[in-house]
Amino acid sequence: MTGSRRDLIEKILYHVEKPGRYVGGEHNQIVKDWGSVDTKWCLIFPDIYDIGQTNLGLAMLYQILNAEKNILAERSFAPWVDMEEELRKHRIPLFSLESKKPLSGFDILGFTLPYESIYTNVLNILDLAEIPMFTSERTAEDPLVIAGGQACFNPEPVSDFFDAFVIGEGEEVILDISRVYGSWRQAKLPRLDLHLALAKLEGVYVPSFYSVSYHPEGLISEIKTNQPGVPQKITKRIVPVLPPHPTKFLVPNVEIVHDRMSVEIMRGCTRGCRFCHAGMVNRPVRQRDASVIIPTIQEAVNATGYEEVGLLSLSSSDHTEILDLTRQVYDCFHEQKLAFSLPSLRIESFSLDLMDELKELKPGGGFTLAPEAATERMRAVINKPLDDHDFYQTVTKIFEKGWRSLKLYYMIGLPTETMEDVDAILQAGIKVQQIGRKLIGKSVKIHLGIASLIPKPHTPSQWLPVHNPDSIQEKLDYLKAGTRKAGIKMSYNIPDSTLLESWLSRGDRRLNQVVFNAWQRGAKFDAWGERDNLHIWRNAFAEAEIDPDFYAYRERDLEETLPWDHINIGVSKNFLKRDYQWSQQGRTRADCRESCFMCGILDAFGEDRPADGFGYWGCP
Amino acid sequence: MNDTPVRYRMKYSKTGNLRFIGHLDTQVMFERALRRANFPLRYTQGFNKRIRLNLASALPLGFISSAEMLDFWLNLELDVEDIRQKLQNALPAEIRILELRQADNSLPSLQASLVSSEYRITLPALESPKEFKAELDKLLTQTEIPVTRRDKTINYRPLILEHELQSNPHDCFVVKLTLSSAPGANARPDDILELLGIDPADCVIERVRLNFSED
Ligand code: SF4
Repeated sequence: MTGSRRDLIEKILYHVEKPGRYVGGEHNQIVKDWGSVDTKWCLIFPDIYDIGQTNLGLAMLYQILNAEKNILAERSFAPWVDMEEELRKHRIPLFSLESKKPLSGFDILGFTLPYESIYTNVLNILDLAEIPMFTSERTAEDPLVIAGGQACFNPEPVSDFFDAFVIGEGEEVILDISRVYGSWRQAKLPRLDLHLALAKLEGVYVPSFYSVSYHPEGLISEIKTNQPGVPQKITKRIVPVLPPHPTKFLVPNVEIVHDRMSVEIMRGCTRGCRFCHAGMVNRPVRQRDASVIIPTIQEAVNATGYEEVGLLSLSSSDHTEILDLTRQVYDCFHEQKLAFSLPSLRIESFSLDLMDELKELKPGGGFTLAPEAATERMRAVINKPLDDHDFYQTVTKIFEKGWRSLKLYYMIGLPTETMEDVDAILQAGIKVQQIGRKLIGKSVKIHLGIASLIPKPHTPSQWLPVHNPDSIQEKLDYLKAGTRKAGIKMSYNIPDSTLLESWLSRGDRRLNQVVFNAWQRGAKFDAWGERDNLHIWRNAFAEAEIDPDFYAYRERDLEETLPWDHINIGVSKNFLKRDYQWSQQGRTRADCRESCFMCGILDAFGEDRPADGFGYWGCP
Repeated sequence: MNDTPVRYRMKYSKTGNLRFIGHLDTQVMFERALRRANFPLRYTQGFNKRIRLNLASALPLGFISSAEMLDFWLNLELDVEDIRQKLQNALPAEIRILELRQADNSLPSLQASLVSSEYRITLPALESPKEFKAELDKLLTQTEIPVTRRDKTINYRPLILEHELQSNPHDCFVVKLTLSSAPGANARPDDILELLGIDPADCVIERVRLNFSED
């Protein structure tokens, strides 16, 4: 039977685009004997292979799990629509890449949820795998279905589909979960006991143990536990010291998006930009020392043969050894002709010094800066202060160093924004272009990337309404006309394409029904934009009798119970409130490595903090 | 460093999952394997520096092969057996190195000297093998066999150089086809199967030999 299923899989692969997505077999892939292990994980990234395979979190978990003798971890991704059609036509349940075994044969399915627009893919995968979609429908025979990732800091809109969520960093807790699962299965207890044991793990959220009640007008009245012994609040999990970095990355055999290896040099950010989800949920700052990073890169290059390395962090310039690191990178790797990228550089001339150190290893293409706002007032509101003089000086230096193309990222739809603030973006673009033309000539290319603000949970913006699409459109039209006239390239998200994100990111449990309806009506690959799924979602809301505007356009009261209030990211709600008020007053807050503002991180995790000099933390 | 590059010529097989990896991806796979093996690699000149290597011929997606050829260049002359071992370790298991030798720099490129390819096609259980044979014979009596691929129609008849039908011990039929692979005159066996009403996905198509002009 298995033999014929495999033959069938091979046959359908002839009829799909890019079959290499579904076959595995990459260098460094780990295939274990199913008889030799106790617990079998399938790690699932619910988008296509091309997008998911380079996800660093996935690579970390794959290596951590497979390093254990009695555990195996395989991978699976969302099949593209042509493959889905073939799978359904031939009734082949979705399978893993390594052993081609159906997902239902695994013990634990671990989904990565990096963003909200991926939710319908999860449902589709469970359906293709013939696994009951709702937690309440699963029995002891079914795999445990869990999720982790950045979207899980507000897991409520998909709480009905997952047995448990990992809140925060997965590197340690994933083995705890494995252990708990192993003893539960040995004891042959009901599924409820597994849930109970999981809920007692730090950083694990079992949504079925929490009840949410609502006021008649729709606001949440209370979130409370319905099970003795489970915590009222779930505090995220962190690793006090960043563990050894994975190096044996799988090397895809087919071309994929961002086909390079990533090395995380630092986690967390202390800048405190008020719109930034990653900056709030990933505190405290922890970094890897250059003396660890260089051998890691060397080992990973030897293991993969990759020609390009991305040094990842939320703010590269803030790594305390960054200059020295770039020097060492050049010294160690110029003979191998590797290329390095260094994202999220600050707007200061120091960033150019870093590029100088990389010499010919610096990334090709243009230079990118993210001022986010163009007036001083607006920058104070979002807490991304930048001196105009420094900005133009940096821009001048970029052109002097010979870069011919510069991309600038800005946001619109910010609180208290006026047309003056929007016009300032255009004027900044024009001034930058003039500087470029003077230094480089006509061939200089300026590109404005315009995003509109989507307030995210657990940030000081979480109470804000999304601006209505008409006002966003008006601002976009203004910028479009201006950039066209000036010969500046502009890219932007059409207001409709971000609506889904604005509904789901601050959603509550009532949206489970909407997500389900949307999937049933055929929504999938919502992140891809090109598929026009928005009308499906509108119908899905209507069917559930829920008004989507409630989630997008409503300003929240500071005293309101928010759907994610029981999830504790370490940064306290009081701190966020204060920061929100400061924002309204146009008051900035300095980088907290200069002076600690007691955001709550040290209360939550201070005890775990390693002794001085080891595993640097940004908190003073 | 010796400035004259040292050329190596390799014959390899490609099987299993890797049959679903296309030509350009295979090229990248070899580049990365050569990096992993940590050889003194030769790079191409010019703006976009790439590892200097050369595949004889694109193997269509879905085909397996026991006869692929590849040239690559190093900056130094190394022991061939040593290269073979290191490179094999750096390659996915479904690529096996069958032969490796040093080759003269003056030889023409593999692509330029490739003349024809031999394929061994294991057919699915046929309802009527006789009928299949008749169909094949009929096809080959025609003087014009037009095949359209990417909006271009070419006559396959002169490109079909040899054919042979065998039955194997498992009662499966095996067709051996030798087809032209010369630049601009390349024929694909799956096209011929389709003309005969057979779904190539039901067959195992293996390239068993590449013929070059010097051979
Ligand atoms: S505890 Fe202090 S230093 Fe640490 S992240 Fe919070 S505000 Fe910044």
